[in-house]
Amino acid sequence: MATRPHALLLKFPGTNADEETARALREVGFSTRTVPITRVTKDDITDCQLGVLSGGFSYGDYVMAARFAQLEIERRLGDALHAFRDGGGFLLGICNGFQILMRLGILPAGSLVDNVSERFVCKWVPLRREVSDSPFLQSLPEGFELPIAHAEGRLVTKDESDASRYLDEGLAALRYEQDVNGSYEQIAGLQDSQRRVLGLMPHPERFIYRDQHYDRDWEQAEHGWGYYLFDSIYKTITA
Amino acid sequence: MSQPAPKQTYRSIEILDLDAEALERLSSDMKLSLSREDMVAVQGYFKEAGREPTDVELEVIAQTWSEHCKHRIFGALIRHTRDGKEETVDSIFKTYVKAVTETIWEKKPDFILGAFVDNAGFVRLDDEVAVCLKVETHNHPSAIEPYAGANTGLGGVIRDILGAGKGAKPVASLDVFCFGSPDTEATDIKADDVLHPLGIMRGVVRGVRDYGNRMGIPTVAGAIQFDPAYIYNPLVFCGTAGVIPIDAIEKEVKPGHHVLAVGGRTGRDGLHGATFSSASLTTDSHEEDQQAVQIGNPIEEKKVSDFVLEARERGLIEFITDCGAGGFSSAAGEMLSETGGELYLERAPLKEPGLVSWEIFLSESQERMVLAVNESSLTELQELAETYETECTVLGHADGSGILKVWHDGACVCELDCRKLHEAPRRQLESRWETPAFREDVTLDPSASELLQQVLGDFAVVSREPVIREYDHEVQGNTFLKPLGGAQGDAPQDGSVIHVDGSAPLMAMALSLLPEWGKTAPYEMGLACVDECVRQLVLCGADPTRLALLDNFCMGNPDDPRELGCLVETSKGMAEAAAHYQAPFVSGKDSFYNYFETEDGPVSIPVTLLVSGLGIIDDRQHVVGSSLRRSDSVLYLLGELGRDLGGSVVARCLGLDGGRVPRADLVANGERYAALHRAMADGLILSGHDVGEGGLAVTLAEMAFSMKAGVEIDAALSKEQLFAETPGCVVVEVAQEATQTLESRFGDDAIRLGATTDAHRKLVIREHLEEDLTSLKQRWQHGLTPYY
Repeated sequence: MATRPHALLLKFPGTNADEETARALREVGFSTRTVPITRVTKDDITDCQLGVLSGGFSYGDYVMAARFAQLEIERRLGDALHAFRDGGGFLLGICNGFQILMRLGILPAGSLVDNVSERFVCKWVPLRREVSDSPFLQSLPEGFELPIAHAEGRLVTKDESDASRYLDEGLAALRYEQDVNGSYEQIAGLQDSQRRVLGLMPHPERFIYRDQHYDRDWEQAEHGWGYYLFDSIYKTITA
Repeated sequence: MSQPAPKQTYRSIEILDLDAEALERLSSDMKLSLSREDMVAVQGYFKEAGREPTDVELEVIAQTWSEHCKHRIFGALIRHTRDGKEETVDSIFKTYVKAVTETIWEKKPDFILGAFVDNAGFVRLDDEVAVCLKVETHNHPSAIEPYAGANTGLGGVIRDILGAGKGAKPVASLDVFCFGSPDTEATDIKADDVLHPLGIMRGVVRGVRDYGNRMGIPTVAGAIQFDPAYIYNPLVFCGTAGVIPIDAIEKEVKPGHHVLAVGGRTGRDGLHGATFSSASLTTDSHEEDQQAVQIGNPIEEKKVSDFVLEARERGLIEFITDCGAGGFSSAAGEMLSETGGELYLERAPLKEPGLVSWEIFLSESQERMVLAVNESSLTELQELAETYETECTVLGHADGSGILKVWHDGACVCELDCRKLHEAPRRQLESRWETPAFREDVTLDPSASELLQQVLGDFAVVSREPVIREYDHEVQGNTFLKPLGGAQGDAPQDGSVIHVDGSAPLMAMALSLLPEWGKTAPYEMGLACVDECVRQLVLCGADPTRLALLDNFCMGNPDDPRELGCLVETSKGMAEAAAHYQAPFVSGKDSFYNYFETEDGPVSIPVTLLVSGLGIIDDRQHVVGSSLRRSDSVLYLLGELGRDLGGSVVARCLGLDGGRVPRADLVANGERYAALHRAMADGLILSGHDVGEGGLAVTLAEMAFSMKAGVEIDAALSKEQLFAETPGCVVVEVAQEATQTLESRFGDDAIRLGATTDAHRKLVIREHLEEDLTSLKQRWQHGLTPYY
């Protein structure tokens, strides 16, 4: 029997969604290891098939979301994450993890800034899958639902036309069905041009089991929608 | 170059020759908040020791004996008079809290795994795991600096959980606030420097949000009460629930253990917090007591949490407690109270240089824990601290002397006999309660339709959605029954349910507070708060034989016999209900002196009791929620609605004073809750919702806010019955095929109210009202939106 594919979760002070993200990854078949940033080595990264940056408030996000985490990664690991991707590895960033990937420049240029409401918002939102070539999304239907929970999830680009270009180029992998935070083009998730990296604000790890939905009678699928995101990348890696 | 001579870090205070008046003045000058009798007792202790105390020792005694830490009013001997009949209450705590729990404990030794001793009480979830809950108040800090006050209020209670047993994992939080109404006119605030309720509310919510969200602990339950009496003295209750392996509950310090400080550094923030909380607020407080409010840093605490939980899993912790009120002095004091030991203050990492001994020892700087560990674990713990980027410092050690000695730069600055230290003089108080004459003729004049509109828009009933959405109530991925549910994810639920990783049973959380009731009927308020909390836990799916409660009291001036009488009567009602339902109190807290000196004289808060509870749910199938699920189902009322309107929301809306407050019928309610639980476990109930604030009409509307069905009620009901808040009533939704079983099980206790329908989305109550659900929901959902 083939060994299970391995996912490495990087943890910063303030990362707080690593446990449920690891649970989700194990649920679909990954083996996982969560490593605090102080202990991570370049070998840890080359030894995994999927690198995951999970949600939370790395270093408190007091300056700009994810800024310190970006600096710490660059200080400790240099460009190891870029190299990992270029060498065939997959990267997933959820919420704060998405913010970190943006700051590292692994995803198309842009920033995740304060929601237009200037508030934290925790709610379930309908989403639309915009691409068919993401290794993270192929098992999901075009329309599905996940919870969001963020104060800095508004995706902006230097020029607003960049965002629509991302849409045309298949980089805007996920969009909100409604305007929830003022993101340009209602973009909820981006992928890189190599189709190996996905960053998204919604939390797939919070909807793995059907009964995690707010409606006791939800039965649109066998598992929660988030399950299919993790299952997609599992299938991609094990195919 | 010669070194400057080391500054003396402590001083000796001459008290042995002072008379009582001078002692009292000294207490006031040093802000010790100790009474004349206390100071005389302190003098006696040092006369026996044959020496003058140091400032450190006086500060330690002041905080140890403070109301905040010692709960001297809850332990006082009270001469109580009710309606002319006199009785003696030998400690409210012992009589109405501890005795109740001890009796239940004897019957449920396998369920209750700890109460009153540790940072939080524990009950069994399953064979391996226990759950615990702790609720604290942070009222005075939140009045002065709402954001920081609420921020550290939540931070503090989370540390209580981290310090429960050998370190419990925080899994969910609750928050309950009492404010002045957000639309209070500025001219109605009769004191300088008092923040407007809106400013307090916004600051407090953001404080809770920023701590809870950053810690990654979902804030899943809460309530907000509004009353003009809270303008000057808002109440902020923060609670956190935790999970721990049962074999990690017991902890013990032994001679030879090293005492470690972990987490944040020690600074001048939060000096005198315990004594400050034990006095009333005045306008001067806003200027003088700023330094008593601590500064929170949730990421520091998150690092501590990661460290503690991993250290506990690796078996490196022998004893742990948090630094709360009183800082190191109370944490180390608690830890070394049996064994005794030595601490070296110069080892404590400081935020800034130059702190004198008592500042280091008493500072309430946040995010610090104190651990006792074996010497062999030190290296591994040091590595773990580096892994999680936190600090871990050996402060001293436990020995077998029974005496706590504190050293600073080679000088012994504090040496107190722990056994004698805790013997504060006992307080003796007077209280009385006169039952008012209730009006029996209160009727409702406006139409039911107008009343429903008014009640649904009242601050007591409106949706807390704007606040709830600011809290990450989904983090950890285990919020099974969410604060907002139903088909659209925005309808209210009776409580929250948390899934615990690795366990099949789930944990229900619910809470109740009814301050309006206590103004005229405190005994009834005590009964009803317990009754409502129990009812809501059962409605969440919990087994009514496996519930645990917490009591949190807040009141104004305990030296006022009427206010104290109200507290005594509340406690009696609460104790009676808890004993009847066999729901033990496993933890609690009390907060006094919640009054404020205004231009028009002192304003006290109403006696406020918050009952919060945990319940064990055996099977996730038992969790049905409070929102309608079908459009072809039948609705029943379980229980009998009276027409007493005292304390109700509708009476408040209409300004109807003096109505009789309903009294919970514990016997009938207890039988009903047991039957309801069996019906839920057998799958007979599709959904169920408590008849609480606002009454039956509000219950029906809230159930229908799932928008899955319209509602047609054709039972004969009086207008008063639509808005009465008789404790114990529940509305349940039942499938047509289950109606016979339900009726045969409940007999006369079940009244068929009507049915759900797919024909429209209205709430129709025959002979009373016909309202469009969308507009009702709009009114309810957005009542708070303009203010938050």
